[in-house]
Formats: sequence, C-alpha cells, structure tokens
Amino acid sequence: MKGKGIWRRVGAVAVVAGAASMVLAGCSSNGSASASADTAKAESAHLRIIVNISPNLTVAYWNKLFAKYEKAHPGVTVKLERTGTISAADKLNQDLAAGDPPDIVQQVTPSADTAKLFTDLSKESWTKKTPLVDNYKINGKTYLVGAGEQVQSLVFYNKEAFTKAGLDASKIKTVAQFTKAMGKLKDAGYVPLQTAGQWVTGSQFTLFNDSTTMTKTPDWIKKRREGDVTFAGDKDYMKSLKAYKSWVDKGYLQKSDLGLAYADGQTNFLEGKSAMYIMGSFFVPAADQAKASDDFGVFSMPTTGTYPTKQFSNIADPYVVVKQSKNQKAAISLVKWLTTDKTAVGSELAADGNFRKGYTYTMSSLGKGVQKIVDASPGGFVEAADEQPLPGYSTELNSQIQSLYSGSTPKQVAENLDTWWDSQTQ
Amino acid sequence: MAGPAVLLYSALMVVPVGVAIYLSFTDWDGFSDAAFIGIQNYTHLFTDPNTTHSMWVTVLIVIFGSAFQIGFGLMYALALRQKSRTNSVFRALTYYPHVISALILGFLWNAILGTKGALNTLLAPFGIGPVGFLFEQNLALISLIAVIVWAGFGFNVVLFVAALQTVPLELIEAAEIDGASRWQINRNIVIPMIAPVVTVALILSLIGLLRAYDIVVSLTGGGPAGSTSTYAYVILAQSFGSTKIGYANAQAVFLMIVSAALALLVTALRNRSDKAAEGEG
Repeated sequence: MKGKGIWRRVGAVAVVAGAASMVLAGCSSNGSASASADTAKAESAHLRIIVNISPNLTVAYWNKLFAKYEKAHPGVTVKLERTGTISAADKLNQDLAAGDPPDIVQQVTPSADTAKLFTDLSKESWTKKTPLVDNYKINGKTYLVGAGEQVQSLVFYNKEAFTKAGLDASKIKTVAQFTKAMGKLKDAGYVPLQTAGQWVTGSQFTLFNDSTTMTKTPDWIKKRREGDVTFAGDKDYMKSLKAYKSWVDKGYLQKSDLGLAYADGQTNFLEGKSAMYIMGSFFVPAADQAKASDDFGVFSMPTTGTYPTKQFSNIADPYVVVKQSKNQKAAISLVKWLTTDKTAVGSELAADGNFRKGYTYTMSSLGKGVQKIVDASPGGFVEAADEQPLPGYSTELNSQIQSLYSGSTPKQVAENLDTWWDSQTQ
Repeated sequence: MAGPAVLLYSALMVVPVGVAIYLSFTDWDGFSDAAFIGIQNYTHLFTDPNTTHSMWVTVLIVIFGSAFQIGFGLMYALALRQKSRTNSVFRALTYYPHVISALILGFLWNAILGTKGALNTLLAPFGIGPVGFLFEQNLALISLIAVIVWAGFGFNVVLFVAALQTVPLELIEAAEIDGASRWQINRNIVIPMIAPVVTVALILSLIGLLRAYDIVVSLTGGGPAGSTSTYAYVILAQSFGSTKIGYANAQAVFLMIVSAALALLVTALRNRSDKAAEGEG
C-alpha cells in the first residue's frame, strides 16, 4: 500500500508540473502519523497552518497572534499558509493531493468520510472545555475544536432608517412582519435588504431558512440525505424560497447587488444605503472598525413559528490537526493554545465578534445587542456531523438563489436543487 | 541522444496523463484508497447538471472568443504591419495584457465593470445604470468573453505581425499595379500566405479558451447563478473542491480529448484547404 502511495505522489507532482492544460489530479499516501506515534518535539517545530482570511481576520492579525505564541514557545515557528482565491478546504484538498498538507487547518469541518484525515483529539482532556465540541463529534470522536461560537441568522438594521420608516425592530418577529417592514423601508427611500454576489446571496438565504425550515426540523439535511424529504416537496423549504422570491419581485432585494463583492455589499450597508443586512455576528467587528456600531441595531431572524427560535450558530475559529502532520505534539499544543488560552481566545472572539461562556471582551453596543439575543435564545442549533449538507451544496444553492433574480421560480429552484443533490449521490 | 528528452517528456506528460486516465476510472477522493468504478465518472459527465451547463458556457466562449481573438488579431496586425514608432507603441499596448496574470486582469475588470465599478460610476451622473455587466446573466457572459478576448488577442497580433513580415512586398506591389483593392490583396494574397500561422493561433486560442479559468475566478466567480461557470472552473472550483478527484480527472481527460480533437480537426481542415489550393494552382 505504501508503494502505491509513492506512485500516486509521483504522479501528482508530475501532474501539477506538467499538465497545466488540465487539472489532473495528484495523489497522496495514506497518512500514518498519529498523536501517539509522534516523534516530534513540541519545543522545536516548524508549523504550517491554514486559517480563514477575511476583512476581520486579516493576515496581519493572524501573524501577530502567532508571533505571541512563538515568543512564548521558543523553537516553534508558525507559518500562515495563504489560500489565494480558494477556500481553506480546497487548499487542504490540493495540499493533500500533492502529499504536502499543512499541520493545522482552520475552517474545515470533518465529516464521517473525511474524519480519517484528521487527528483524533478525544483523549485530550482540554478539548472537553471547548465550545460546541460535542456537536461536532464524528462517531463519538473529537476531531474539531474551536475558540468560540459564531452566531448566525441575525438581522442588522440601520436605526435611522427604522425611525424614518416608523418601525420598531422589537416587533418584527414573523416573516410576514419582516416583509411588511421591508415595504415601509422601501417607501422611506431605502434599499430594504442588502445582499451581494459571491457567496453572500446563498448564505443569506441559508441564514433565513435556518430560522424557519431547519430549526423546525433540525435533522432536515439528514432526512434529505436519506431521501425522506425533497427541496421541492417540503412545505417549509418552499415557503422560504417563495418568501425570498417575493422580496426579489417587490424590489426589496436589488438585482444589481449581485455585482457587488461581499465587502462592497457590507460597505453599502455601513454607509446607510440599505436598511437591513442578514449576516452573522462577524458583522459586529466590521461595524466597530467603521466606528458605526451605535448607528445599527440587531434582532434575531424572524420565523414562521415561535420567536425567538433556537439561534443558529457555528463553531468559531475551528481547528483540526492534520493526521499526516509530522509535528503532532507541537500542532496539538498550538491548537490547545488557540482554543483555551485566555489571551488567544479573547483576541479571536473580539476580532470576529464571537462568543464564549466565561470569556469576555469589551463589546460595542451592537455586540451587546447580539449577546442579548444569545441570552434570550431557547438554545443553539448547529449544522455539523450528519447535519452537514453534501460537499458543493452551498455553491449550488448560491447559484440557484441568484437565479431567482433572473426569473427562475421557487419551484424551479427547488427542483434544480433536488436534481443536483440526486446527481451527486448517484 | 533523445534519451533525456524522452525521459523528460515521459515524466512531464506521459506519466501524469496516464495517472489521470487511471484515476478517472476510480472514485478516488484524494485521500482514501481508490476503487475502480468503470466508466461511471464518464457517464456522470453528461448527467451532472453543473458540468453539462458549463459545457455550453465553454462552447459559447470558445466560438465567440476564438472568432474575435483571431478576427481582431488579424485586423490589428494588418493595420499595424507597417514599421513605424506609432505602430510599435500600439503593438506593445495590445500585447501588454498578455504579460499580466489573468487573475489580476479579472480583478482589474471587476473593478471596472462591477456594480460599484468605474464604468457604472461614470454612467451614474447621466442617469444610466447600474448596467449589469456582472450581475445580468447574459451580459456577464458577454463581459467575460470580451475580457478574455481583450486579454488574449494581443498575442495573436504579435504572431500575425511577424507572419506578415514574411509576405513578399513585390507580390503586394504587383497586385496594386494590377489594380487590386486593399481588401482583395488581403483576401487573396496576404491571408493565404500567413494561413499556417493563423492555424497555429487558432489552435492555441481554442485550447486556451477551453481552459478558461483564472479570469472567471477573479471576474465573475462563475456567477451570477452559474452563468459564467466554465468547464475548467467547474473542474477546479467544484469537483476538485468537493474532493471528487476521480470525477475531476474524468472531466479533465474529456477536456484533453476535446482539445486534441479540435486541434486535429483544425489541422486537417487546413491541410485539406492547402491541398485544394495546390490543386487549383
């Protein structure tokens, strides 16, 4: 089996070097390193890490954070590996295929199929204190640990716009009220709801739908995997699509916003050109940096049922240790520091507007608004383990939601999603 | 002494292509053991909605992109063939995009054509727009093709200008004395004489357009609604990203076959045309 691995790796390197005309795959050997078999010393290691780079979490931010770790751990160097225009997961795939993966990866959620790529951290007692750790277990084992919780399904609003439109945010609890509010905001001269191109369109729909379909049926994705529900056949999913489509048709969402990058859409909202913005808690630091936090308010996503619903959240700053890493001990040590050290965790939480029990940081009025929502929520809802959609689903959903702006009907979108889903499971 | 060359060619071409073909018949995900699944990946090519859609997008890009890259390239080359300082500047300007990374060109044009881009900002005071260069599905595809043509035709200009230098001036002067118009000279003397270079340029354009990826990533990201998702983009951004390496290899092998078939077809047509011309002669 080892010989086969070497053969594959040779092929992969040659493919990358020679066949630029095609994306011919490379190969890797099966990782055999494990935490127990580790021979590397934590005192001296050169660690490579892939992290999420965003407007909040910049390269400079991470390098500064890693410099603190390096200072406290002489002999250990941490090198941030850039992912370019691709996601962390895609970069990891490329590196694995080339047989040269990094030691630690952030922003990759293991599934039952991919768990074998990552180090089992179940025996590390410190992991038990990390947030949402149980939600992300695969077959009872811990592979992923994070620094905090990232609250999703939030609606940020421009206070001035609401005043002009005569709206009270605390009274918007149902989808119908939300839609009606958009009408008033439009009449007041605002773009009611800010969206953007790239991944934003589909993501906003997901945040909306998570508060309706998914919180009502938490195992919806699992059911879709098993064929018990379909997109087109599910009343709740269709309701969400129809509501979204009605916003598009009424001009509450602007088609031209599809030509905006994520950052540009956010800037539009921050500049007061639009009245509401569906986004996760990571919008808070962006508003803080723009020194505009006090101009905005936040409420939990309206629902079609009880309000507030369980607050959809993700694990924030999630890390995995790659099983092929030759620096297991050092890599685990760094992940432990990133997810348990007060200074590191506090810094990560503040940088991306995330939360964690027992850890505090100075919050703006907007951050406190999100904290209130979390406190009032009847619980959390997480899409992890079996509840993760198929790989590529978010891209397909994004594409389908964007097609609603060009005349596709909710039924067509739902049927296309079913066709795509079924084609991926053949 | 062909040994080193054969070795290098094998290492860089034969082995990778062989591995790709092998993997295209497997379900390899990049890290597990690969299992042989016959032609399943190849049949999936034609049932996967994203792949079939991307094929049509790519066909449009190849047809219009190659037509404009060759057409504009030829027009520019004919206009700039005389040696002069001005022509040298224009030749350099047309070639300039070719030396810049396609990824950067995409970002550059995104900043120009986007909703808040330079062009829409300029049009706004006149009450126009925002024009959906990047958010209207059809217009986004047209924008993509236009940028690809802009980025690539300068290379053809250089090729054609070089080829035009080989056309004997006596022939052109003789035709002029006989009263031939500029169009007749170009159509009956110049273009036939540089036809082999045009064939090479066409093949290079076709293969390049079939692989359109970098500009797509930075200009449109395949959107809106997948309207600019090219075949190569789907391989890299979707199949590869979803760890469907076996399937991605099948897609890549299919692309290689289509590229080779197109190149052979163009060459065969060219040869047939040459033979027909010789027959007439």
